[in-house]
Amino acid sequence: MAPCPGTRHGLFGRAAKVWRLEAVSRAPILDFRRAVSFDRPAIHGEAGLPKDTLETSAALAPEVREPTAGVPVVRADAIRKSFGDNVVLDDVDLTVDAGEVLVVIGPSGSGKSTLLRCINLLEPVDSGRIFFEGREITASGVKVNQVRQQIGIVFQQFNLFPHLNVIDNLTVAARRVRKIPRATAEVRALELLRRVGLEEKARQYPHQLSGGQQQRVAIARALMMEPHVMLFDEVTSALDPELVGEVLIVMRDLARSGMTMIIVTHEMQFARDVGDILIFIDEGRIVEQGKPVDVLDQPKQERTRRFLRRSLQLAESLQELTVEEVESDEEGGKE
Amino acid sequence: MRLLASFEWSFIWENRGVFLDGLWKTLQVSLIGIAGALGLGVVLGAARAHRIPVVSQVAAIYVEVIRNTPILVQVFFVYFGLSEPPFNIRLPAFTAAWLMLVIWGGAFNTENFRAGFEAVPGRYREAGSALGFSRLATFLNVTLPIGGRIAIPSSINTSISVLKNSALIGPAISLPELTYQAYSLESVSFRATEIYFTLALVYLAVVWALSVLIRALEARLALPEARRVRTRRQQRLQEAA
Repeated sequence: MAPCPGTRHGLFGRAAKVWRLEAVSRAPILDFRRAVSFDRPAIHGEAGLPKDTLETSAALAPEVREPTAGVPVVRADAIRKSFGDNVVLDDVDLTVDAGEVLVVIGPSGSGKSTLLRCINLLEPVDSGRIFFEGREITASGVKVNQVRQQIGIVFQQFNLFPHLNVIDNLTVAARRVRKIPRATAEVRALELLRRVGLEEKARQYPHQLSGGQQQRVAIARALMMEPHVMLFDEVTSALDPELVGEVLIVMRDLARSGMTMIIVTHEMQFARDVGDILIFIDEGRIVEQGKPVDVLDQPKQERTRRFLRRSLQLAESLQELTVEEVESDEEGGKE
Repeated sequence: MRLLASFEWSFIWENRGVFLDGLWKTLQVSLIGIAGALGLGVVLGAARAHRIPVVSQVAAIYVEVIRNTPILVQVFFVYFGLSEPPFNIRLPAFTAAWLMLVIWGGAFNTENFRAGFEAVPGRYREAGSALGFSRLATFLNVTLPIGGRIAIPSSINTSISVLKNSALIGPAISLPELTYQAYSLESVSFRATEIYFTLALVYLAVVWALSVLIRALEARLALPEARRVRTRRQQRLQEAA
C-alpha cells in the first residue's frame, strides 16, 4: 500500500519544516571534498602560510585521494555479530560504491547501529569479512587506527570532547595523529566550519551550542580526517524536532558533493530524497533492499510493510491523541 | 592573663631561623612528594582503569598495603628495615622522607585517578578511537584531560595529607623538617606551649595557602561547563550584593 502523502508530512510537521529549509538553502551546492583538502594550494595561498608548511602538509596527505574506480568503497561479506546469545547481525551482505548513499532503516534493536560500528571496527565481527576499497579490514594485522581515519563516523550523542573548544575538537586528531601543524589544521577546520555554517562558533565550547550545532560540529570533525566514506548513526534522533532540519541539510549537501555515505536513520522523507539504495533490516537480517522510492512505496516483504505501516499508524494515532483522548498505545512509545 | 603574660613570645622570634630552616625542608620534601604522588597516581590509576595485566594487579596490592598500614610503620620499614641485610639499602633521611611521601600519596592518588578515569563516559573514548587515536593517544587526549579533572578534588585532599604527613616522618627518622626542628627546640628550652602553638600556626598558614593555590588551579582546569556554573554563581552573588 502506498503511503498517503498527507500523513507522511503529518508527524510534528517535521518533514514539512525540513523541506521549507531546503528551499532557502538550495542555491549553493557545497563541495566538501574538493574545497577543503589539506593539499589544495589555493587555501594555503589565501591564508598566506609559509611555503614549508605547505610542503609538509602535502607530503602528509594521503597519496590516493579518489577511491579506485570500480571497486566498492565498502563491502561486507556475510558478517555475523552476537552479544552473548543475542544475535545482532546475521549473515549481512552489503556493497556501497563510490559516491553512493546507502540508507539503513529498521526497528530499534534490529542491528543497524552495530552494523555501522562493525564497519568502523569499533566492534569486531564474529565471522564474515569487511572490505574497504578492496582491502580486507577484518584481516589480522590491519592497522585499525589508519583505517578508522578514512572511515568517518558521526554518533547519535555527538560525543564532542567537552574540554576542548569547537576548533580544537576539529583539529585535535589532525594535530596529534597526523602531526599536521596547528596553523594548517585550523585553516581547514575553519573552512569546514564555514561549510556547516558555524564559523563564528569556532572558539566556543560544545556546551554553549545547541544540539543541532553540536551535531554539525561533529560532522565537520569527522570530515577533518578526509574520510573516504561517512557513517551516520541516527544523528538526528537525539535532537529537538526543530533542530533536525539543519543537520539533514548539511548531510544532503555532503551527499550531493559526492561523498560516499551510509546513513542509519528514522527520517523516511530524508531517506527517500537523499538515498541511492535503501536497506530495511530487522532482527539482524536484511529483509529488503532497493531504491528508496520502491521500498518505501511498494514494499515487497510483509515485515517491511508492517514496519512502515507501524510508522504511519504512529503518526495517525498521535494526531488523534492531540484531538481526543485515546487508550494507551503500546507502539506509541517507540519510534 | 597571668598565664599569657608568663609566655615569652620573643623566644619564638629569637629562634625564627630554626623554624624557617625546618619550614624550607618541609616544603622541599612535601613538594617532591606531592608531585611524585600525582605522577605515580596518574600512571597506576590509568593501569587500574584500563585493567592492564600484571601492572593492574600489582598496583591493587600496593594500594591495599599502603592504605591498610600506618604510615609510621611504613617509614620505619623504608628507613630502618631496608638498611639491614639482605637489602642493605641505606637511604639518606631526606631521600627516605620524600620517597615515603611519594609511595604513600601515590597509593591514594592511584585510587583517585582510577575513579576519575573510570568516570569518563565511554562515548568520548569511542569518539577518539573513531578519529584514529591509538589507545595511548585516546588516553592522553581524551581520558586524561577529562578524567584528570574529575579526580582533582580528591587528589587535592591527598596532596594536603602528604604535606601534613611530612610532620610524622621528620621526627621518626630525624629529618630536620619543621616538626622535628620544633621538637628539638622544645627539648632544650622546655617552652612547649609557645613552640607548638607557633608550629600549628605555621602549618595552618602553609596548608591554607596551598589549598587556595590548588583551588585556583582547579578552577582554571575545570571543564568548561562547570566553569560556567561557577561564574554564573559568582554573578548571582555579585548581583545580590
